[in-house]
Amino acid sequence: MTGHMMRTGNIISSLGAQIRRDIALGWSGRGQALVMLGFFLIIITLFPLAAGPDETQLRPIAIPVIWIAAMLASLAGFTRIFADDVACGWVDQVALSPLPLALYALARAAVHWALTALPMLVVTPLMGLMLYLEPAGMPPLLLALALGTMALTLLGLIGAALTEGARGGTGLLAVLVLPLAVPVLIFGVLASAPADGGIVTPHLMLLGAVLLVLLALAPLVAAMALAEAEAETGA
Amino acid sequence: MVAKPTQSRFGASDRPAAGLVIDGAVLVRGMRVIQPALSHVIAPGGMTLLTGPNGSGKSTLLRAIAGRLRPMAGTITCAAPILYIGHADGLATALSGRRNLGDWAGLNGLPVDVDMIEAALAALAAGPFADLPVRMLSRGQRRRLALARLALSPAPALWLLDEPAAGLDRAAKAGLDRLIATHLDRGGMVMAATHAPLATGRTHAELALEAQP
Repeated sequence: MTGHMMRTGNIISSLGAQIRRDIALGWSGRGQALVMLGFFLIIITLFPLAAGPDETQLRPIAIPVIWIAAMLASLAGFTRIFADDVACGWVDQVALSPLPLALYALARAAVHWALTALPMLVVTPLMGLMLYLEPAGMPPLLLALALGTMALTLLGLIGAALTEGARGGTGLLAVLVLPLAVPVLIFGVLASAPADGGIVTPHLMLLGAVLLVLLALAPLVAAMALAEAEAETGA
Repeated sequence: MVAKPTQSRFGASDRPAAGLVIDGAVLVRGMRVIQPALSHVIAPGGMTLLTGPNGSGKSTLLRAIAGRLRPMAGTITCAAPILYIGHADGLATALSGRRNLGDWAGLNGLPVDVDMIEAALAALAAGPFADLPVRMLSRGQRRRLALARLALSPAPALWLLDEPAAGLDRAAKAGLDRLIATHLDRGGMVMAATHAPLATGRTHAELALEAQP
């Protein structure tokens, strides 16, 4: 069929170039990541304000509140994963390069997670203390939240690729992704508060299984959706 | 990929394998047939200028050859590497032109060094603004950065150019013409959608598309 720029080109070096570009772009757009972090902090802060500073009320909802805040804040950033690259025609260039679109999508997801979800994880212990979470409860929460936000980002990858070119952007993406994120939320919340004190619970393993399935499928689905994605001006 | 061609004027078998062969391609956008049965061949060293009124499917054909749009029927084959420069320049507006060009070369695994990037920028007279973020540049300047990729192209490639000269000043247009002439001399192929003449003085085929009712 159509030829690639360099058939013998090394996929790994192409992937490296793509990741370096994503990091440079992410760094230049770090204001966006800060806005998402602010969104995450504000959602959590609203709960003590609404429910009052009562320890017995806040502690039971601490973990669900942190999880829902992470989900909503993540959701706000998913439309950005492919929007600029499709609009400026970079996806066209990737499609003709040795780099498979699935690996390109995976690289986008990985860098997006590192720039948006990782800062949320860093401030989570602080937010947990505000909601009267015991310091001993932090490690399982952080571990589950790390796996959960990765799974969410991969769901967002599918949603972002599918809604690329469809009118209605963020709203459509939320309606598409949130129902699919229910298993992540359920296993994630259960794994965040293990009853017996051990960190590796069956719930955490199920969450990990969901993540692995998404890791295998999401880049492929995103690549199929991007295969003929086109900038508006390219018509 | 594909179903039987509905109509075929060129057999793919008796053509040079290195060239571009479009055999009975049916191009569709949405529910509209843009080109009912298109056949065309470009041999190594050949250039085809795509002409036709707006909406006649010039960009669509280029995207189909680039593999970004599937023909409904017929086949498009090209063994050579393809370099596609469409309407969208493929530049990240937050990064500099030099950075964009280097990233593109890295993505394609092209063995380039700083001097080659510099020479590519110079070919389109894009050096003076290559270190500014692309968002600060004019349409013509962005076009020049996008076209600078051509100077890094491997020799036997097929260049697909969509209105390459749009927005270019006279110096940049001359640089583009020089790049095309050198590319053809090296056995490269060019297909360009254009309303203005490109690389005047070079022999070329013309493929005139007609707007479908």
